[in-house]
Amino acid sequence: MKTKKIARFILALIFGLVLTTGCTATKPAKIAETDTQDMSWMYHDIVDAEFVAEHLSIPMPENVMLIDARPYKGKYVKGHIPGAVNIPFSEFDKKIALLPADKNTLLIYYCEGLKCKLSHKSAKKAEKMGYTNVKVYAKGYPEWVSQKGHYAAVSAEQVARQIDENTAMIIDSRPQKTKFNKGHIPTAVNIPFSQFETLKGKLPRDLDTPIVFYCGGLKCRLSHKSAAKALEMGYTRVTVFAKGYPEWKKIYGAATETLQVKAGEVEGSIDLGLFKSIIANRPESILLIDVRDADEFAKGSFKTAVNIPVEILEPKIKTFADDKPIIFVCSTGARSGEAFYMTQDVRESLKDVFYVEAEIDFKKDGNIEIKAPK
Amino acid sequence: MFKKCIISLIVLMFTMVSFSAAFASEGSEGPLGNDRKGKYTYRKVYKACAAAGEVESESPKISPADKTMGQWKNIFETKTFNDFGCQENWAALSDTDVLDIYSYFYNHASDSPTPATCK
Repeated sequence: MKTKKIARFILALIFGLVLTTGCTATKPAKIAETDTQDMSWMYHDIVDAEFVAEHLSIPMPENVMLIDARPYKGKYVKGHIPGAVNIPFSEFDKKIALLPADKNTLLIYYCEGLKCKLSHKSAKKAEKMGYTNVKVYAKGYPEWVSQKGHYAAVSAEQVARQIDENTAMIIDSRPQKTKFNKGHIPTAVNIPFSQFETLKGKLPRDLDTPIVFYCGGLKCRLSHKSAAKALEMGYTRVTVFAKGYPEWKKIYGAATETLQVKAGEVEGSIDLGLFKSIIANRPESILLIDVRDADEFAKGSFKTAVNIPVEILEPKIKTFADDKPIIFVCSTGARSGEAFYMTQDVRESLKDVFYVEAEIDFKKDGNIEIKAPK
Repeated sequence: MFKKCIISLIVLMFTMVSFSAAFASEGSEGPLGNDRKGKYTYRKVYKACAAAGEVESESPKISPADKTMGQWKNIFETKTFNDFGCQENWAALSDTDVLDIYSYFYNHASDSPTPATCK
């Protein structure tokens, strides 16, 4: 009996020792790890996301500058904290003029997270220059975009790439008549913020579809408000092109103005001369839908046309954007005419819809001959 | 006597109006309905009919190219639509809809300049 008690006591002692040793062995290891790290590269005044959020507003206040110290092409273009100015550390001296004249301005630097030194190095340089209120948001961009309710801002180049690759839906948050109709980014769908609730059905069904909101530039809040609403709706890949249409115009020139389509002689048809001119000069200004069968389409088609055979058209009509005229085309006008009347029947509210009443010969050499009906 | 004259006059006027209306919807080169719209309306009839379970396929079984212009003229003038099936749906069509369908059939009949293909 006594032996058993002693044995139990020894076992308990060994167990306790193992536990205690295990715990004490882990702690010093961690401390040692931290101790050995040289943290001298870090800037002394670190702030968190909450601090950054408190000092952000659209437009940015004059006494605050948020600075992205990452490279322009690989990082800033693809996504940055809204309101941030890009001064890559590698170009600090070259872009020194971008810093504010007032040395008391709050400068908040950030880069690519805790291991990124660019913001710390930039902050130190700025301090040396005499700036008195310099901070580093050390967790930087990765933490910012991962937080609930936050979204990234993108640059014009990124928007252009997304349009080119057809990988995002571009939403113009400005009013339709006074702004959107006078010019907008190609492929953009107009959902004015003032009508967001009634027009939000235009947004894609898939909540993971990348969406880019834009409006009238850095002082415009409409795109930001729309982005916030989209996030509330559950969209996961929301961005804002904060510099908006003014920046787009500056880089890529005046974009597509909404086309006024002249009707042809036959009900629902487009004027043939106008159609030829559109195809030759500004095919992107219309949504051209070829309603022939896929095998016919494969043999020859207009470059900008999308193929939706008339047999499967009806359920898709409700998904069509109404930001530019829709033109149906086939080889004789029979199926495109049917598509026109189908659209009238299924979605009466869609007004800018036409079809091509003509004989269209898609030749083997790629040429397309359009002849008026006999 | 006077009453009889008035009634006869009204009947005569009615007949004349109906006569001219009938001719107004048919030009020298066939019916003057909208054949593009007629094609859509015709297909829509069968979609509705198939949805109601009366026919199996949404695609109409009769094509304009199944008959000649003269044959279609006869069918539509005498309104003998029994072969088409879907009687209830046909009965629900307006005169304009029927005229449009007639134009579609006539303009794409087998002996027309543009006979309908299977499309």
